[in-house]
Amino acid sequence: MGEGDLVIPLIGLLAGIVVGLVLEPSIPLVLQPYLPIAIVAAMDAIFGGFRAYLEGSFSDRVFVVSFVSNVLISATIVYVGDQIGVGSQLSTGVVVVLAIRIFTNVAAIRRVLFHA
Amino acid sequence: MTLPPESRAPSATPAPPRQSSRPVDASMDLLLQVLRVPVDPDYAVVAARGDAGPRRHWALAGVALAVGALFSVAALQTTRAAPDLQSERRELITRVQAAETEQDQLRSRATVLSDDITTLRAAALGDDASSQTLQRRVNQLAPLVGDTAVHGPGVQIVVDDAAAGTDERDRVLDLDLQILANGLWQSGAEAVAVNGHRLSNLTAIRNAGDAITVDYRSLTRPYRVEAIGDPRTLPAALAESSAGAWWHDLASNRGMRFEVGPVDDLALPADPGLMLRWAKGTS
Repeated sequence: MGEGDLVIPLIGLLAGIVVGLVLEPSIPLVLQPYLPIAIVAAMDAIFGGFRAYLEGSFSDRVFVVSFVSNVLISATIVYVGDQIGVGSQLSTGVVVVLAIRIFTNVAAIRRVLFHA
Repeated sequence: MTLPPESRAPSATPAPPRQSSRPVDASMDLLLQVLRVPVDPDYAVVAARGDAGPRRHWALAGVALAVGALFSVAALQTTRAAPDLQSERRELITRVQAAETEQDQLRSRATVLSDDITTLRAAALGDDASSQTLQRRVNQLAPLVGDTAVHGPGVQIVVDDAAAGTDERDRVLDLDLQILANGLWQSGAEAVAVNGHRLSNLTAIRNAGDAITVDYRSLTRPYRVEAIGDPRTLPAALAESSAGAWWHDLASNRGMRFEVGPVDDLALPADPGLMLRWAKGTS
């Protein structure tokens, strides 16, 4: 994967932000509690992918699969938790685990980029 | 027993103490895994296989699109929800204030009506002996239970939160006022009011949110507790009671304000909420 390949996801990201801002899709009330969790899971997949990219082992397929499954699994965990009455505790757990991973990955990325 | 020389050779050099050979505590396994395998292991698997397969730019672009949309939608939602929450809060505050105003009006109406009752009762009872006996009993009991406004000598106690305290425990609680009021009754007070709210045996002093309420009306600091009673003995009796000890402790350890002073003539209003809902007189 060459340097030029970064352009496509970046354009996609900007287009997504624009689409979200312009269209202002209203999230159904049922799904609203899962949006923040889904975003944290997405951030985990993104930083994981970026670290893999820096380590030279990036693969589009793995990234897409890990992104989709991360978002779905975390939302499902919280949904199941909501149904059995431990939703807030479970979402705390999911956020803690994902935050630890994000932190570790960002630290590794920083070490590779800045050699510090 | 002597070991063969070759097997003894490594131990001849002083090896540094090694801890890593100890098994990792099993309960830490989950956390360690989270820390040590932060990247999806599939990246390594696919990379080791060498061939990453055909490029999937469209999938990557789609995911990037989804990520961007997720972020912007979430940010929009949060910023849009903020003014809604604000306005809801403001509306609730307005409703609370309106309800308090209405309650004030109803209370003053209740006071007027109970004055009417007193006048009408006096008129209806007439002049005969049994009526006068009844009237005397009414006159005697009404101030006692808090049904009429009373005045007389007594003490005024001003209590307040500690001045410098930001600590939750430096604040006056409903319990503290309850203890003080009970201590005043115990010390011989005949009528007690907190911030102008007369206490009867149906009065509730409780916390509601951040404020202390008396008869469901929230109080503002400082709290002024007035008690009618013998101004010479009441302060001493209060100081000796358990309520006095409690408040002495609060004042000296927490720095709360606690000032007791005699007053020549206190005027305490009637408790307008006083009525019997279920009990009926037997005579």
